Amino acid sequence: MPAKPHRVLLDRVSAYADEAAAFMRRRRVARRPFARLYYPNGRSADHAQDTRSGAELFVAAGRLIEVAGKRPKG
Amino acid sequence: MAQTTTTVIQDAGARVTVGIFTQMADAPAATAPSRDSAEAALAFLAEMSPDLRGAAILGSEGEILAASSGKPKRWQEDAAALFTAADAAEEAPVEQVHIATEQGEVFAIRNEGLTAVAVTDRFALASLLLFDMRSMLRELAKEAKS
Repeated sequence: MPAKPHRVLLDRVSAYADEAAAFMRRRRVARRPFARLYYPNGRSADHAQDTRSGAELFVAAGRLIEVAGKRPKG
Repeated sequence: MAQTTTTVIQDAGARVTVGIFTQMADAPAATAPSRDSAEAALAFLAEMSPDLRGAAILGSEGEILAASSGKPKRWQEDAAALFTAADAAEEAPVEQVHIATEQGEVFAIRNEGLTAVAVTDRFALASLLLFDMRSMLRELAKEAKS
């Protein structure tokens, strides 16, 4: 006996939601630190952490993160 | 090694702070917005951005107009150091900076002669936050001109 139409629809939506959740999980695990600069002409450039410019950007960012502190709860 | 790099950035930041903030992509605002309006804008940004940990707004001379924590001097120095490093990366003035680390994310933007810097939790919605920051600076500049 074929499944009821609304069941098919629900299963499909659930499948997409599961896919999206898995994608977000993988993204959180796999995402590496990056430093990205955007220029007025619309160009952008990534600077790896192991380059001199990248290292300086990460040090400067680290100091800002330090001064911002933790997010207040509530 | 990391300690040496930090010192270099701070020295550079102290020397060229004013120069950094005048290298704006857009024409600077004729007059700086008031500190009250900058603080109000920052409070509004914090309200709209649940991931925000802290932020600061700086004027065209690199002076602090508003900062979310009680260390305005540190915000000023560290923002200058960030833009020093960013501008030096390709020897061209940047418009926006987005740096994601394990500890959090840093966003910085220069618009209409003003600068905004924000620190968020990881995985903040980058385009949304940058849009809000740009709108905030645009409104402040408009207010300063009127």
